[in-house]
Amino acid sequence: MNNTTSDATAPAYNRSRQAREAETLLDRIQDDFPDNPQAMRYFYDLFRNVYCQGEPVKHEGTLVGTTCIHAPEELIYAFGATPVRLCNGSYHYDQIGADFMPAKSCPLVKATLGSLHAKAAVPNTAALELIVNPTTCDQKTKASAMIEAMGYKVHDLELPPAKESEEARLYWQRSVRRLALRLRELTGRKLTRSNLKTAMARTARAQTAFRTLHQLRKSAPALFLGKDAFLVTNAYFFDDLDRWTAAVEQLNTELQLRQMEGFQAAQKRAPRILFTGSPPIFPNLKLPLLIEEAGGVVVADETCSANRMLYDMTAVDEWLLNDMVDGLADRYLKPCTCPIFTRNDDRQRRLLQLAADFNVDGVVYQAFAGCQVYEMEYRSIADVLAAQGIPMLYVETDYSPDDMGQLSTRIEAFLESIKTRKRNKQ
Amino acid sequence: MNYFAGIDIGSTAIKAAVVDQDGKLIGTRITPTGSMFHKNAMEAFETLLAQHGIAREAVKFVTATGYGRKLFKEADDSISEITANAIGACEAGRAFGGVRTIINIGGQDSKAIQIDVNGNVCNFAMNDKCAAGTGRFLDVAARNLEIDLEELGEYHFGGSGAPLTINSTCAVFAESEIIGLLAKGHGKQEIVAGIHYSIARRTVRLAKRVGIEDRVYFDGGPALNKGLVAALQDELGRELVIPEQPQTTTAFGAAVLARSQYLAE
Repeated sequence: MNNTTSDATAPAYNRSRQAREAETLLDRIQDDFPDNPQAMRYFYDLFRNVYCQGEPVKHEGTLVGTTCIHAPEELIYAFGATPVRLCNGSYHYDQIGADFMPAKSCPLVKATLGSLHAKAAVPNTAALELIVNPTTCDQKTKASAMIEAMGYKVHDLELPPAKESEEARLYWQRSVRRLALRLRELTGRKLTRSNLKTAMARTARAQTAFRTLHQLRKSAPALFLGKDAFLVTNAYFFDDLDRWTAAVEQLNTELQLRQMEGFQAAQKRAPRILFTGSPPIFPNLKLPLLIEEAGGVVVADETCSANRMLYDMTAVDEWLLNDMVDGLADRYLKPCTCPIFTRNDDRQRRLLQLAADFNVDGVVYQAFAGCQVYEMEYRSIADVLAAQGIPMLYVETDYSPDDMGQLSTRIEAFLESIKTRKRNKQ
Repeated sequence: MNYFAGIDIGSTAIKAAVVDQDGKLIGTRITPTGSMFHKNAMEAFETLLAQHGIAREAVKFVTATGYGRKLFKEADDSISEITANAIGACEAGRAFGGVRTIINIGGQDSKAIQIDVNGNVCNFAMNDKCAAGTGRFLDVAARNLEIDLEELGEYHFGGSGAPLTINSTCAVFAESEIIGLLAKGHGKQEIVAGIHYSIARRTVRLAKRVGIEDRVYFDGGPALNKGLVAALQDELGRELVIPEQPQTTTAFGAAVLARSQYLAE
């Protein structure tokens, strides 16, 4: 395609390595599966535009980057700004980011650093004015200064290491208030009760759409596949909030129709998988795709690129603005099941609940090499699931495609063992 | 008479097995994978049938396994080598009174599989990115020492001193370690024993991840190496059960599965 407005300095996105990586994956997602919902077209096109053509991220007002789900987006919207989540899933940027971090660190952090360092990166967030970096794991915490050294403005959103205690709660509330002050300084706007309420209503509508989609995945046999669900939640990172909500609502309508018609997007006996651990972020959908190419179906997840990001809603009905901000802060701390927190029984409870609600046959646990907290929680989760008779496959991997062959064998064997187990039960 | 076949297309060798309608093993064949694995797989299969006077039409179901399983379109179905290995080991293991743990060392991977009392896979572990401590490692070591792969077993027991320490199971790093030891004048026998212990340690670590229960079945090409078997038994502190044909257990498992798939249909 000829771009008539291009000049010598304009990057040829569609010929870059990262575009190539995204395109190969999108082709796989679209062409290798026969029953993609019509409404997914919006998301396929969106990813092609943003990742392959370099279309700038749509935003109203100031563009504020976030590097974790702990940055309260309602607050950013309330200041008339637009949040964009910068967590990156590209192997290409992971390699660039390796210049900043030790080789054995988390690919997500490395890829995020790499994309911020790269010229003409996708998603195209050239308009970024501030990056809110919650100080969660060591690697993200140390990334702050490195990002700043690249010329970005960074706000460290300080996060406590625990979440149950009152001390942690107060610490975090103060931290969120300090973010509000920084945003006021940046945007020159004032935070008002009505602005915050409007922002909360907008995200609530998006989250309601997500919850409907989430519930539709309880359907057995499955109405659609997990690879598409991950694409939908990944689009939330950078898409216009209201446009995204409308697209999800449309998808929901189509899936409800499928439900009434008794449509099956997977085989009746396809093993139903719950996905947990390090987040699948486009274009690193390696593991979910391998599962579904091998005949399994990912019916639910417990990851910060999907369920953990969108499930818990803000419903604040305080009278005073300060109390509203505190209430908002609570929502971002208390229900979070990230293994970064000390004492994390919530994650075990949530996994068991999801396994029961979604009629799950097995759990796949992804730990990015270098993501120590997920690696460390593996044993406790394995024990809890084993006690309930739920099989689990633990996979330590990263963004590189090197281990695809071995992984596909392991995943197939896992699915086969689930099928045998199901047959024996009958 | 109906027959059923399993074809295991591995990184180093292609293994074919045929069972009759009662599930009894009729015969097996092993050929190197080479660069034209498809042609070689067909050849192995056809030669095996010819050897036993079985017509192609009499083979009612073929199941492919191994890393080339998806590319062998002549098969009726495919199965991962982990499941095939478990089925084969369970069948073959009956003669030994049943097995619960399988250790498999192949050309480029190593696996540990735990099986429950009903013979189903309940847990497994496998090397991911690196082929350290697999059959290929023995290949490289034998070449460095200028001895035949088949001789490694004898060399293991031939030494007068204690096995030397080989720290690395990475074929590339171990190569320089071996050359260093040779340069220092150490005997090949002690080096070979050291290599076997180095693989054994790594394999036991893998097996411990899935849990080790008696009886432990050891298969794959390297199970023919008596020295490696001894080292592995030593490191495990347990006896290993070695089948008569350790290389074809997985192909046999695929054939057994082919039979039950055919009967179920």
